[in-house]
Amino acid sequence: MDKIQTFFQTAPVDPTSAGQALWLIIALPLLGAFICGVFGKIIGRQNVHLVALGAVGGSFLLSALVFWTINDFRASAPTPFGAVSYAVGADFGTWFSAGTFKVTMGLMADHLSGSMLLVITGVGFLIHLYSTEYMSHDAGYWRFFAYLNLFVAAMLTLVLADSMPLLFVGWEGVGMCSYLLIGFWYDDPAKAFAGRKAFITNRIGDFGFLVGSFILVLLVESIAALPAEKLNRAGEQGSAVVERYQQALSAKGPLAFSVVEETAKTLPNLLEQTIVAGPLFGRSYGTMLMVALLLFMLGAAGKSAQIPLYVWLPDAMAGPTPVSALIHAATMVTSGIYLFCRISYLLVLSPTVMVTIAVIGATTAFVAALIAFSQTGIKKVLAYSTVSQLGLMFLGIGVGAFWAAFLHVVTHAFFKACLFLGAGSVMHGNGDEEDITKLGGLRTEMPVTWATFAVSTVAITGFIFPLSGFFSKDAILDAAHHNHIEGYAGLQQFAWVLGTLTALCTAFYMLRAYMLTFEGPRAKDAKLKHAHESAPAMTAPLVVLAVLAVVSLVHGLPLMHVTRGGETVTQTLMENFLDPVFRTTNDLIAQRKAVEIAEEHGAPWATWAFAYVIALIGGGTAVLIYGRRLKLPDALEPLRKLSFNKFYVDELYELVLIRPLTFLSKAFFRVIDSILIDGIGVRGTAWLTQRAGGMLRYFQTGDAQMYAAVMALAVAGGLVWALLRVAS
Amino acid sequence: MVPTSWYLILAAALFCLGMVGVLVRRNALVVFMCIELMLNAANLTFVAFARERGDINGHLSAFFIIAVAAAEASVGLAIVISLFRSRGTVNIEEVHSMKN
Repeated sequence: MDKIQTFFQTAPVDPTSAGQALWLIIALPLLGAFICGVFGKIIGRQNVHLVALGAVGGSFLLSALVFWTINDFRASAPTPFGAVSYAVGADFGTWFSAGTFKVTMGLMADHLSGSMLLVITGVGFLIHLYSTEYMSHDAGYWRFFAYLNLFVAAMLTLVLADSMPLLFVGWEGVGMCSYLLIGFWYDDPAKAFAGRKAFITNRIGDFGFLVGSFILVLLVESIAALPAEKLNRAGEQGSAVVERYQQALSAKGPLAFSVVEETAKTLPNLLEQTIVAGPLFGRSYGTMLMVALLLFMLGAAGKSAQIPLYVWLPDAMAGPTPVSALIHAATMVTSGIYLFCRISYLLVLSPTVMVTIAVIGATTAFVAALIAFSQTGIKKVLAYSTVSQLGLMFLGIGVGAFWAAFLHVVTHAFFKACLFLGAGSVMHGNGDEEDITKLGGLRTEMPVTWATFAVSTVAITGFIFPLSGFFSKDAILDAAHHNHIEGYAGLQQFAWVLGTLTALCTAFYMLRAYMLTFEGPRAKDAKLKHAHESAPAMTAPLVVLAVLAVVSLVHGLPLMHVTRGGETVTQTLMENFLDPVFRTTNDLIAQRKAVEIAEEHGAPWATWAFAYVIALIGGGTAVLIYGRRLKLPDALEPLRKLSFNKFYVDELYELVLIRPLTFLSKAFFRVIDSILIDGIGVRGTAWLTQRAGGMLRYFQTGDAQMYAAVMALAVAGGLVWALLRVAS
Repeated sequence: MVPTSWYLILAAALFCLGMVGVLVRRNALVVFMCIELMLNAANLTFVAFARERGDINGHLSAFFIIAVAAAEASVGLAIVISLFRSRGTVNIEEVHSMKN
């Protein structure tokens, strides 16, 4: 055992050079995107597959190497505040600077981004492999793989960035690729519209992200301007802190995560104080921090499909299914959770923001689960399920269980990607039939798809026996129940109740989708009489993902025993693994006491049993109803309709936001565009020029002598004027 | 010695004569000659000042102007001839072509 541990903790490469080579992980898929996009049509389908898979595969190998390196005890990433252990990174110089503001190009991989690296490139590779078969009849294959590779590059930038602006580059990059891929079949207006809807909804969130980071800059700079005695921290001299802080600011700029982390360490004593200089004058540090974090929440809500910006994700299913699996289930939509894990040290300073995130997350989870109840499209069910699971992750963030939220990100990436790819396989084998009421009986006809889909369904619901999703979801709900957010105990318990109900609903709608698709007799109005199993290139990723969905349950088991302050605390593997990432966060929790984290002693059997009973009730009901294809009683029909129509949220947005906006745009068009710009600005200029020309043309006689006379007169006038000047 | 002002008055008179000629005469050849008159008025000023100051630069400028005037005369005469050939007249009233 020790030997294995030593093996995995001794990387084959030097950590420093690994840090400097991090850019290669991004560059490979970027190059792949370039080759596929520019030469794809020339080099042909097989070569495009080779390039795209090779790029992501190479990226995966490098990521694995980096992951190995960050487990090395020698690994340390240089930051202005001393080296960070269990991380690698490098700074590639100034990106841009303006006055005292500066942003550097820096990449860093720690345990958090390292895990994301493996998920992105690993699941990404499997989905690329799957796509080679799934898109085998599409003429736009080169475009598809170029976008897919570009997406992987952007997502890797997002997780490797060591500063907010670089993270934002990745953030925008994935948004753009998402737009391109949702509208991949752009000749269908509905699909192109879905792409635009996703893009615009994301823009609203991005606006929040940007303004949030502007406020963060002001906040950091107002702290840097404080006198030394205000920056006192336990065990450190004020002047030393100030000096180091100033150095870091001039070296890395205010938005580097290391500087933000240092700011978070300084903030606890300042929260109630007012800012004395700068644009934020007169407001307290705590308020501004809260505002910035709420704006970040808006950004995360856009990207990760939370209330009120979740409406784009279900429509995003217009894209090809592998896209839904990669972007809208496994990676991009989890970037909001990743962002909050990154800046968790700021979150724990503001219980108001924490509880807001928790309530938004829980509400989204519950509402989306209710909508998933009655959807008939298999991808729609999975889409709302994704929104719901993302809501659970936000609940985890909101109650301070950052590791649990991140564990759910990882396990969800596995089983939800598997479910989506399974759905794609079902559609592929059934003549693109999406309606689960017109499928059925696929268990025998598509055995591999059936088996993997079943395993993933069990993983997400915890039905039959607990797999990965059960543990990660339960860790979140457990934390929602037992952690304590200062001053908001009631709201937090409300969020917990919603979360538990979501777990119940999840079991129900997932089992419903499963039963309708795979069990029972084949529907009478099925498109094809007999379905055919998909090719190995499609089933192999399914099998790997299903295995991962099972294996990753290990991360949720409380296997690590840590002695902390004379007490032995039980931690899950993931919690222990992410400990270096959340060290500052945990220190701040202990210092500030805004959030209390309940500590575990041994395995939480009671909670597990409770969660299992919940899953059994939900899943069992679905099995009973849909196993026998029972008809819904008429009394429930209005409810079903309400849920089927997604609580009319799209229509509400149409009425409250889009209509007034369209009206306003039209009004502006009539008044400002038509009258001011077209009428006065453009036509007015033409009119003026014409009139001026009309008057001036009488002076052009074409008589050279006349011109000469005018010239002579002018010269004579000038002479007279000069003489008068001299004379006076 | 004749004072410089006399020369200048003569030059101004010549210049005005030339200018009036350019402005009022209709015959292209006469207009042309009047331009020469103006140039020579300028020459006279140069030379007069050069004489007063004992400076060679004025003489130099006068020579330059004579050279340029010769070149201008050849080009101008060629234009007048080709004008006569194409239009059959040298009356500039009749050869307006700048406005149509």
